[in-house]
Amino acid sequence: MKYWKVIGLVVAFCLVFIPGNLFIGQASEESQCFKCHTSAEKLTEITREIAQTRPALKCAEPEGER
Amino acid sequence: MEPLAPHEKILVNGKILEDENHGEIACVDCHGGNPDDPNWKTAHEGVIKDPTYPDATKACGDCHDEINKNYTKSLHVSLKPFTLIIDKRANPNDVIRNKVERAMNHHCYHCHSSCGQCHISRPTSVEGGLLDGHLFQKKPPMQEVCTACHGSRIQKEYFGENKGVLPDVHGEKDMKCEKCHTGEEMHGDGKDYANRYEVENGPKCFGCHEGVYSREAKNVITHRIHRGKASCQVCHAQPYKNCSACHVGEDKNGLTFCKTKASWLDFKIGLNPLKSEKRPEEFAILRHIPVDRGTFDYYVKDGLSNFDTLPTWKLATPHNIRRKTSQNSHCNACHGNESLFLLEKDVEDKEKEANRGVVVPANLIPRKQKWQPK
Repeated sequence: MKYWKVIGLVVAFCLVFIPGNLFIGQASEESQCFKCHTSAEKLTEITREIAQTRPALKCAEPEGER
Repeated sequence: MEPLAPHEKILVNGKILEDENHGEIACVDCHGGNPDDPNWKTAHEGVIKDPTYPDATKACGDCHDEINKNYTKSLHVSLKPFTLIIDKRANPNDVIRNKVERAMNHHCYHCHSSCGQCHISRPTSVEGGLLDGHLFQKKPPMQEVCTACHGSRIQKEYFGENKGVLPDVHGEKDMKCEKCHTGEEMHGDGKDYANRYEVENGPKCFGCHEGVYSREAKNVITHRIHRGKASCQVCHAQPYKNCSACHVGEDKNGLTFCKTKASWLDFKIGLNPLKSEKRPEEFAILRHIPVDRGTFDYYVKDGLSNFDTLPTWKLATPHNIRRKTSQNSHCNACHGNESLFLLEKDVEDKEKEANRGVVVPANLIPRKQKWQPK
């Protein structure tokens, strides 16, 4: 019974004092999206790879309002 | 505005996790894809680049429900005036109209905005790229968002980038777009408007300059004399950019383009084409717009067979306002000065019929004044 009280107090402490987004934030940091999209090096590597395989997406003709 | 380098466009600022409102939302919740897949090619399968267009409900609606409710009616999203205007000019034949619609889809309808394309990234129509690494911008940065699209006319007018034309006095006071064009206006109020001038919460000069007709106001006589006769811009705008002969098409690689003739600076006072209770003035500033009978010729001949139903000199509110301008320096700088008015001779023969309602007849040009107010 004593242990349950201690566990309950620890859980209550966590819920009150630790911000909720800390857990979620950590989860996001671990996602592949976040890891890659926060690394300029990785993105440079990938965008170069894409540029080599994809043709130009923009017409060389003049455009309107810029 | 220079486009961002490809990697810069998609580089996320890690500080987004500290955003108390948006930091809790996982990438996958809005963009889809597979966040556990280490292979970027397969991880991006099904990814939605802009999850806020055309429907922002899933991405923004839960929290911003009031804004989201009206979102699709915002002129920046709906582009309703485009459709209405082309409908009036277009050939009523269904087959031809469909081809015009196809051309519109290829060219015109790309120039829209969205929640994301104002608050998170640069608009796609100017090649996109995250603003400050996906950190949410409550107020969209003027030069990366607003004038990125509204560049050749508004930006150049506002910052005095047209040769020989002074910047807008509001720009000189470092007023940003949102000072006049509020979030409420941008987000829409749920009503379908035929043009931006009808928008109820749009900018109004009197919003700040409400006292110009009061007895104590400077130039009260001049303001009272012209009340309801000339729009504010008639006296306070400077020459602005005009365009013509827009033609759209595809190059040999199938990439879309639009071409116009060289633009020119001009200042023309014409008859107000959108006279209403809100805009009762007889005279207003008119800008020549790029549309042409042959704009969609690449897709279909005679696509705009009802071209003459609307003028090609259109109501304008140039963004280069000054208290003192050449036309308001003294009464006769404008009165009797034919060169300021849109006359029949200023309109190309092929557009005369379209502009019949806005051309100023000689007898309506204000006569020279003998009396000058002190």
